[in-house]
Amino acid sequence: MKLVIGGYAQGKLCYVLQKTGEADCMIYDASLPDDTQQKEAEESNRILVVNHLHKWIREMLTAGKEPEQLLFPFLRKNQNCIVICDEIGNGIVPIDPLEREYRERTGRILIEIAKQADEVVRIICGIGQKIK
Amino acid sequence: MLTIVTGGSGSGKSAFAEDYLLRIGEQCQKYYIATMQVYDEEGRKKVEKHRTMRAGKGFYTIEQPVQIECAAEKIQEPSGNNAALLECMSNLTANEMFMPEGILQEDAVTKKIIAGIARLNEQLTHLVIVTNNVFEDGITYDETTMEYLRAMGSINEKLASMADEVIEVVVGIPIEIKGKGRTWQCR
Repeated sequence: MKLVIGGYAQGKLCYVLQKTGEADCMIYDASLPDDTQQKEAEESNRILVVNHLHKWIREMLTAGKEPEQLLFPFLRKNQNCIVICDEIGNGIVPIDPLEREYRERTGRILIEIAKQADEVVRIICGIGQKIK
Repeated sequence: MLTIVTGGSGSGKSAFAEDYLLRIGEQCQKYYIATMQVYDEEGRKKVEKHRTMRAGKGFYTIEQPVQIECAAEKIQEPSGNNAALLECMSNLTANEMFMPEGILQEDAVTKKIIAGIARLNEQLTHLVIVTNNVFEDGITYDETTMEYLRAMGSINEKLASMADEVIEVVVGIPIEIKGKGRTWQCR
């Protein structure tokens, strides 16, 4: 598994597509592919890319769901996937509890993904810095 | 030795800083200098969580939400080998800045804190300070918050220049910004 992080508009998806080849990717925006889609990727030998993971986490939290319960089993099952997520924790800690929860949970989830990942790349100005 | 550890919310900077202090301060009496002022349930929970993390690791806790230089006087054996983890600079800065009597300006707050840290650092074999990357959300806040951000920026800058090493933690991974050019083993 590979984790790609970085600020807004830093060229994260572009970096992934360049490295992996667009034709070899199946991209899911702020969503996790379902079983059929996972099977399709496996059969066609393509790599699942989950883009904007932070948006998906936010949607889950807003709906009162636990993102970890869906995400980690998915990652265990799809160990070849690439996860792309914005860095959202580098600001003033917000007053709103949900906003704080969103930052904290996203951060903790990313730490766990980073632990499991074979490679972690941080993108700044379109340039990938391999940090693991 | 002075070490600055920075990172965003939920970056894993606290856990790293603690592990690091336990490693470098193995032979030292270990102190945890807590700067957080507890106002509510969430704050209490956060303190509780951090206390649990430190439980059984031999830390002696000093509560020092303001006047950080006073923490130096609370070291039991000042002539001995002492190591401290100070957490965190964003709380200390807010506590010093937003006083009941009014708001202390950027320059005054920076001077006060840097002098306090210099005094504390003299007393210690190792000092690890956790600060916070609060600078990258692209939002223009009200003037008071902007003043706070400028104070934090200027404090971080001065701390980094005093420090032997500066480490940024990103998704739990330490990255050396200033130091001996080490690469860290990922946990």
